[in-house]
Amino acid sequence: MEKKSVSVTLNDVTKRFKNIKGKEDVIAVKGADFVVEGGELVTLLGPSGCGKTTTLRMIAGFELPTKGSIHIGEEDVTFLPPNKRDTATMFQSYGLFPHMSVHDNVAYGLKLRKVEHKEINRRVQEALDLVGLGTYGDRAPGKLSGGQQQRVALARSLIVAPAVLLLDEPLSNLDALLREQMRVEIRRIQKSLSITAVYVTHDRVEAMSLSDRVIVMKDGVIRQIGSPDLIYEEPNSRFVAGFVGKAAFLPVTVTGIQGTGYTCRLLEKDVPVATSAFQAKEGEKGVLMARPESLRVVEKGQGYIDGRVKMNVYLGNSLESFIQTPFGELLVQIDDPHSKRVFPEGEEVSIDFSPDRVRLLAESEE
Amino acid sequence: MVRKKQLLYFILAAVIFLAADLWMYSSLTSSFSRYVQERDYNEVRLFVQTAPEDEADVGEWIQGVHSVIPGSQALYFTYDENLFDFSPAQYSGNEISSILTSLENTADLKNGFDSAYYLEAVILDTSSRVTYNGALVDAQLFIAPVIDENGYEARGALLIAVPTGAASAYSNLLMTLAIGAAVAFLLISWVVSFSRDAVTGFMVLGLFIIVGIFVAYPLIEAIRLSFTQDGSFSLAKWRLALSPSYIVALWGSLRLGVSTATASTILGFLIAFLVERTSFKRKKVVSTLATMPVISPPFSLSLSIILLFGNNGLISKQLLHLNTVSIYGLGGLTLVQSISMFPIAFLTISGVLRQIDSTVEDASLDLSASRWQTFTNITFPLAVPGILSAWMLVFTNSLADFANPLLLSGNLRVLSTEAYMMVTGRMNDLGGGAVLSFLLLMPTVTAFMVQRFWVSRKSFVTVTGKPSTTLTELTNTKVRNALSVFVWAVLGFILMLYLTIVAGAFVVNWGIDYSFTLANWKAIPDSWDSIVSTLTLAAIATPLAGIIAMVGAMLIVRKKFPGKRLLEVLMMTPYAIPGTLIGIAYVIAFNRQPLLLVGTGAIIVINYVIRELPVGLENGITALHQIDPSIEEAAQDLGADVPTVFRTIVLPLVRPAFISSMSYTFVRAMTAVSAIIFLVSAKWYHLTIKILSYSENLRFGLASVLCTILIVIILGVFSLLQVLVKDNRLTQKTISSR
Repeated sequence: MEKKSVSVTLNDVTKRFKNIKGKEDVIAVKGADFVVEGGELVTLLGPSGCGKTTTLRMIAGFELPTKGSIHIGEEDVTFLPPNKRDTATMFQSYGLFPHMSVHDNVAYGLKLRKVEHKEINRRVQEALDLVGLGTYGDRAPGKLSGGQQQRVALARSLIVAPAVLLLDEPLSNLDALLREQMRVEIRRIQKSLSITAVYVTHDRVEAMSLSDRVIVMKDGVIRQIGSPDLIYEEPNSRFVAGFVGKAAFLPVTVTGIQGTGYTCRLLEKDVPVATSAFQAKEGEKGVLMARPESLRVVEKGQGYIDGRVKMNVYLGNSLESFIQTPFGELLVQIDDPHSKRVFPEGEEVSIDFSPDRVRLLAESEE
Repeated sequence: MVRKKQLLYFILAAVIFLAADLWMYSSLTSSFSRYVQERDYNEVRLFVQTAPEDEADVGEWIQGVHSVIPGSQALYFTYDENLFDFSPAQYSGNEISSILTSLENTADLKNGFDSAYYLEAVILDTSSRVTYNGALVDAQLFIAPVIDENGYEARGALLIAVPTGAASAYSNLLMTLAIGAAVAFLLISWVVSFSRDAVTGFMVLGLFIIVGIFVAYPLIEAIRLSFTQDGSFSLAKWRLALSPSYIVALWGSLRLGVSTATASTILGFLIAFLVERTSFKRKKVVSTLATMPVISPPFSLSLSIILLFGNNGLISKQLLHLNTVSIYGLGGLTLVQSISMFPIAFLTISGVLRQIDSTVEDASLDLSASRWQTFTNITFPLAVPGILSAWMLVFTNSLADFANPLLLSGNLRVLSTEAYMMVTGRMNDLGGGAVLSFLLLMPTVTAFMVQRFWVSRKSFVTVTGKPSTTLTELTNTKVRNALSVFVWAVLGFILMLYLTIVAGAFVVNWGIDYSFTLANWKAIPDSWDSIVSTLTLAAIATPLAGIIAMVGAMLIVRKKFPGKRLLEVLMMTPYAIPGTLIGIAYVIAFNRQPLLLVGTGAIIVINYVIRELPVGLENGITALHQIDPSIEEAAQDLGADVPTVFRTIVLPLVRPAFISSMSYTFVRAMTAVSAIIFLVSAKWYHLTIKILSYSENLRFGLASVLCTILIVIILGVFSLLQVLVKDNRLTQKTISSR
């Protein structure tokens, strides 16, 4: 199954769906422009209707771009039908052939490639073993559990040794535990075969844990591309910050500029901020983005924002403390709560943070 | 997505092809017309040599010209040596003399006479028109010398107008073919250059061509002919159809439709209620028996009703000695039609009743309504949309029915048979028949529209949560027993009708001599050819209709292409059109080149396929909607092209729909009458038409034998296909869905 890893390039790809009965045209994807390097797993992350699945379907060939071009490796595949592209898709609903046994499902792609019968049997067995379903060849797919069906679909996609593996929310129909297992499994196989992969999901945990890079989309537009770490720590907008994790947004005014850093006024206090997503001018309004785990609850008057503990929720490895502040309810995550001081509900407290753990973002909700 | 380079290639190819096409067309027509001209020229020269020596006989000779050279007219000039000129003497028709008037003093005529003087026959440049076979056609003018006995001098000359009918018919045909070739080339190269998926493009194109030629074209031709009289626009046919004598037939059709629909709906509802909503035990048996009439040949029930209640019927005459009551007419027809068509109502209504969640009835009973109140306030209102659409369906079917009225209508006149009489009878008027069928179409289409857009919108079913598996008993024992006794009686009566046919096959002469005989079975060797051709045609049409319907369903459900809505409408159209109209339209449209199909087996097969397409299509569409599209996408993604996806994935998955639409087509093909009766020929005959002619000639024994044979064949094939449907172990429950 070894094959040289190839890249996938989208060049200013736009997809417009024709209007149906008097409604306006829908622009599902607008100017998508990115490269997935060979052997890389890139996730398209975004809320439903953001165009991530449409992007994937254009790479697979199920949809034609209205504008732009798509290359797999050096080859322009923009107008090639799916069967002429070296891609394999795993569908949200698996798309197993219900009238064929597990073995025949997996063998389908090889049969089409006119592989010799013995060779097919050998490779099907190999693929089923790879996904841990070695003894299930004779079953009907309908008789398998969701996770098993998922793995059959994976084996079916991998057996044709595609240059690009496309995964369309493959785990969304599984229960939580199975999802975690499959996630690890998919990542392991993808890495060991070093297949280029594009993964579509709306689940940020999935995106973070699987990907080499994440592409965050909204309303058909790519909002940010970067490693999970970058996307989480240095989002370029309130939307990205909020979509990839919990975050508090504290309205501030920029009062001073020092090199790349800023001084911002939060309520009556000045806060030095190390990083910013935009070039702010003095006097301009913005928001400070702070992750719950980077906030601390301290004695009243000792932090930046005063408030009162409204509710504590114990989660085992952490505790979530909801603090009522002038900016509304803010969430503070206290890791390893048994070794930390926890203020009881109703107590007047203050919220503190270190300046290098907050980031200045533009004020706009987007 | 049109790309510039492709567009350029396409235009280039189109221009080259069109030029070649035009060149071929013009050289073929001109060479043929030159050939015709030469032939006519030679014929004219030969004709003038037959001129009688005696001038007195010239008149008679001239009169005979139109039979020597078909349709031509001639004018004889004598040569006046004193004036050195030709002067007109005799002519064979008024038209030729008016042609001469128009030629007077032209150089053309003068040249002609000069040539004649030098004993040379010439073709004139001036064109003209003469009446030939009742129509004005183009004609070629010739002037030929009549040479005296010495062979030196012209003693006279002939002006002859020869119709160029053959040449113009040939040129029309060539024109059609040339245009056809151009259109085909343009469409095919369009698909090849611009569709990303050429196979789908060709499938769409193929379907469009099929429905265009075999649905739209015949109907348009029928409409055109209905507004034409003697070659020009006229409302005469419509005026005749809307005259009181045919309005009576429309009225008759409507009365029959209303009474049959009402009776069938009541009967269908009672049986459906008993089967679906009570704890009645023998549901399977009753459902099977109740659907029997659907698959039996159309004449069979009329035949047995005649055998039992006709003028010499077993019950009416032998048992009850009735002489005054006649089964022929509205009453008898309603009876027969209701028995043949109540299964439609039964199937429709039971479908709706089955979907009513009995928790709503439980809720009603729980709120202390009585069972009768629950029935009238809950169950019945929920079933009303189903009941209405059942009524409409039966009404449509009754109006379109042709077989039963043909045997049983008596004094009642209905449109379907009137249309048939108009075409086959003395008048031999295809256009008139088409008009009467169109008249029939109006109530049918109205009912169809009402059913489609109004009744279906009022449907309440489907908005229930988790359906309950238990059934709430709404009837008490007394009511249920009464109901089942009634239903059994009806089904017993139907069974008796079928047994009567079988009995009729073994009786010497029904009504007169009831002794046992096997003599009727000679009908089998006698009709062997029809049996074979009926089976052959049905066997060819069945898989064709099935495949086309499934391909159509796949395209409509899964693919995007321009004109999809139009294609769907055209494919569904035959559903709403009475068979009589389709039959007449086919005869009108396909009786000349290049689509000369009348008299072939092909036209019958095509007719079956087209007429059963809508039902197959609906089945296929419903089946495909239940299949997750990602199954097909997965196959394509793994490298399967469109035909492979269809063969290995779609067809196996929609197999139940595929097989059931094939069995439906087979049954309908075996029992077809209304359209087929116009299309059968000596070579391709249909059993049902044979049964009809036996019945009309009161040879009931022979008719019964053929009926029995037909029923046996249908039941055999039908159960075979049912077995095939059942054998789908994997598909049953495993189709995953989003």
